[in-house]
Amino acid sequence: MSMIFQVIAAIIGVMAFAALFRAPRRYYLDCGITGGIGWLIYLLVMQQGFSTVIASLVATLALTILSRMLSVWRQAPVTIFLVTSIFTLVPGAGIYYTAYYLIMDQIGSAAAKGLETFKIAGAITLGILLGMGVPQKVFIVTCRWGKGLIQHFKRDSV
Amino acid sequence: MEKSQKILNLALLAGVTLLKSGAEIFRVQETMERIIETYEIYDYHVYVISNGIFATINEKQPDHYSVVRHVPLGSVNLQKIDEINQLSRQICQEKMPLEEAYSKLSQSAVIEPPNPHSMVLASGLGAAGFCFLFGGSLLDSLIALLLGLILQIYLNHTSGRRSKFLSYIIGSILVTAGAGLVVSFSSAFDFNHIVIGSIIPLVPGVSLTTSVREFFNGDYVSGTIHLVDALLTAICIALGVGVAIFLFTSLGGQLS
Repeated sequence: MSMIFQVIAAIIGVMAFAALFRAPRRYYLDCGITGGIGWLIYLLVMQQGFSTVIASLVATLALTILSRMLSVWRQAPVTIFLVTSIFTLVPGAGIYYTAYYLIMDQIGSAAAKGLETFKIAGAITLGILLGMGVPQKVFIVTCRWGKGLIQHFKRDSV
Repeated sequence: MEKSQKILNLALLAGVTLLKSGAEIFRVQETMERIIETYEIYDYHVYVISNGIFATINEKQPDHYSVVRHVPLGSVNLQKIDEINQLSRQICQEKMPLEEAYSKLSQSAVIEPPNPHSMVLASGLGAAGFCFLFGGSLLDSLIALLLGLILQIYLNHTSGRRSKFLSYIIGSILVTAGAGLVVSFSSAFDFNHIVIGSIIPLVPGVSLTTSVREFFNGDYVSGTIHLVDALLTAICIALGVGVAIFLFTSLGGQLS
């Protein structure tokens, strides 16, 4: 149950970021849902007992692929969806805890948190790279297939 | 004006607007090249980095022309990227006449200043959403909402007047101090979650993402520029938070 609320919070947060970076209004919901799905995947991977680094990697990969699908579908730059939805995974908390432990004179914890922050940033990097490595053709073909399917169903319902 | 000059100016206008709005180098370069090729010129060179554009066309002809533009790093404007992207696609597909293309492009190349109220609201909502996401309660999120609003009001106020990094440090001091104040009044709030939520609008997510994508496309200079930007921003946030916590605890405040 708490997972549903978390995903809703992610959608709201990402939509707010879409507004902050002045995305076109018609893409707000796309960005939000992409972010929500990314966070859901993060939570699910964490639930399986994997570390935050692995979860960030998998979620970023999913986000990147989803953003690229949307970009072909909507014929809009990938940046719009990727830059906004990635905010759920960017290690803001890591930056904070590193500073916090440094000031509190807990050098060990600070070093651990600092290293973890870098690891998460690295995982995000790897996730984007892997997602970008998928050939564009895959997305164009799936998109055409998807649009054809929708057309098909529309014709049936009429 | 020579025709080659007009063509390059058209491509340059599209490129500069895209770059200013935070588009990837790859996109800027490709857009400019496609526009130039639409007008049947194949003797050209376009070189783009994060804060500048260099281009020449018809180098070996009498009507050769070249430009250098300095484009300072601006704030992200996704709507502009989308608009210019669609327009340049249209220009290339329809082989639009030069004059028409230029007048249409210069119309949509105007970057309107953002609406400050909606920015403040977005920052607040973003902070609240992420506070909840990172484990805060609804009460914590409410405080994060307020601090997010205050943060963006401050950022709007100082934008362009002060170094970006200084305003980031002061911004994170502001929200951390605010959170400290709230926590010292009531123990119903969680200091960590409130601060994590409310510093999120400052976190360099865009720079990090852009940097990775530039490296992926082989634009190492631009990738490095964005990476350094991301790193410095993160350090500034940490610095601001650290200073605020230090001052707060030195003055005898209790954080939990």
